[in-house]
Amino acid sequence: MNRLDRSRPLRWLCTFAAIAALALVLFPVYAIIVGSFESTETLFSGTFYWLPHQATLDNYRTVLQGTSASTQATVSGSQAGHILTSLLIGLGTTIFALVVAVPAAYALSKYRLRVTVIVVSALLVAQIVPSIVLATSLFIIFHWIHLVNTYPGLILADATYAIPFAILVLRAFFFSLPNELMDAARVDGASEWTTFRRIVIPLARSAVITVAVFAFLAGWGDFIFALTILNGSGIEPITLGIYSYLGNYSTDWGAVMASAVIALLPAGVMLALAQRYIASGLTAGSVKG
Amino acid sequence: MNTPTGGPRLSARRKQQLAGWLFLSPAIAYLLFAFALPIIYNVMLSFEQTSPATIAHFTAPWAGLDNYRAVFNDPTSRDAILRTFEFTFGSLLGQFIIGFALALLFSLRFPGGTLARSLIIVPWLLPLIVTGVIFRFLFQAEGGAINQVLLNLGLVDSPVQWLNDPHLAFWTILVANIWLGVPFFTILLYSALQDVPVEIKEAAVIDGAGPWQRLRLLIVPIILPVIEVTLLLGFVFTVKVFDLVIGLTGGGPANSTQLITTWSYNLSFQVFNFGQGAALNNVLLALALICSPLYLWLSRGSLETSQGGAG
Repeated sequence: MNRLDRSRPLRWLCTFAAIAALALVLFPVYAIIVGSFESTETLFSGTFYWLPHQATLDNYRTVLQGTSASTQATVSGSQAGHILTSLLIGLGTTIFALVVAVPAAYALSKYRLRVTVIVVSALLVAQIVPSIVLATSLFIIFHWIHLVNTYPGLILADATYAIPFAILVLRAFFFSLPNELMDAARVDGASEWTTFRRIVIPLARSAVITVAVFAFLAGWGDFIFALTILNGSGIEPITLGIYSYLGNYSTDWGAVMASAVIALLPAGVMLALAQRYIASGLTAGSVKG
Repeated sequence: MNTPTGGPRLSARRKQQLAGWLFLSPAIAYLLFAFALPIIYNVMLSFEQTSPATIAHFTAPWAGLDNYRAVFNDPTSRDAILRTFEFTFGSLLGQFIIGFALALLFSLRFPGGTLARSLIIVPWLLPLIVTGVIFRFLFQAEGGAINQVLLNLGLVDSPVQWLNDPHLAFWTILVANIWLGVPFFTILLYSALQDVPVEIKEAAVIDGAGPWQRLRLLIVPIILPVIEVTLLLGFVFTVKVFDLVIGLTGGGPANSTQLITTWSYNLSFQVFNFGQGAALNNVLLALALICSPLYLWLSRGSLETSQGGAG
């Protein structure tokens, strides 16, 4: 018997402690989900209810239709279009990041190139650079090349979150592929491109999914580039939509929380569908070597 | 190389080199465009006399160190720099203590442990602006959950003006950021604890080492490299926090929660003084890049492996 095995009561004590810790960690999310179903009257009553007091879908109606049922606060515009915009930005960031990162990671792990160490160092440092530094300059640079307030501009900026991370994670994965695999394909006369496309990419599926999940969440959740590179007319993702709801004199908390819950949905879906990819990405991206 | 097959083999090798470069070139182009260019431009900008009109042009009149002088003479900027340090060290302290405690808890096997581990990462996945908004809701004076708990427990007599009192608002961004960073510390430290060999732990138990001794003398030294990387990454993540503060306090009340990031945003995009914003950005960039040699050194494993790649 393992000497470290705990007695039964002690194990249940651990379970209890974990439940308490989780309750604290998850409470803020629980609170806005409950809040998003409260009536405006309840939210303005000055009392916080631990369970829905008078559950209603009014807030979601407000958010999706853009008309406020409340008389105490006004909201500006519907979030329905913003959700679509955020989906497009998330997907665009994912596709762009994968197109750039997958071949680059392959080159950095399976080809002996003179620049490898420099590029990998640059990628590590790139993860450190604060977004506000990039945002300030990119706003002006985009101004000259007419990318302000465009999807391509925002996707180029949002990919700064995704590309360095994606290349480093994928590269770590490619190291695990045996070189014999590629050599065999080459002996059979396959070109470098065919080897990459037919042999390497299919094998890298799980790592690509990990990276895609993170790229999507980065694009979907981006706020700072949306705030700086979009000028408020036309393109507006849900993160900006929530921010502009807050900007009003008296915040319509019901509408804010309903939009916040909608903004949480992709993370929830990803957590449910791709949990193991997320956990592996978190560790792979941060501690290496 | 001087065998008869040397010629064709060399050309195959050259073909591979070319393919490698082609695979890598979009990433290099992207790094130059989205990182190198903005960083260089930001440095240029910080030495220029900018105005809303100069944004349309490539360059503006030279300003020397005026922007830096203005930034360091402005009390709000100075406070923002100082506050960024306080915020960062406070956050790291809280995140590390709580994250390590949770990692130790999860490393004891107990019913429901796997599920608990997968749910603990929820805060990490939320859009940061949403986290800010959630805590703005929780910290409201009237009807905020935090005041309600404090009132019910009898710890305070009247609602605390968390978001309206310049002396208290700092604690709201600190608490929110600790909440945000705990899962990151928990997951990384937990995976490091998994790598501590069971035999070592058992040997220590047999030798009669108590839990505290085992932790301090055995486990911490083994996982120290991971602790270092985690704290370092925590530092660079925390100095660049922006969305959370904008969503929670907007830098207020009375600029009492302005960090370098939020005040730089304010300088560049609210008052359109891009030169001063860029100067402050460079202070932030220097702060973040100070860590890069250490980070590269701690990540040297991933740099070294590159030499082992096949050609």
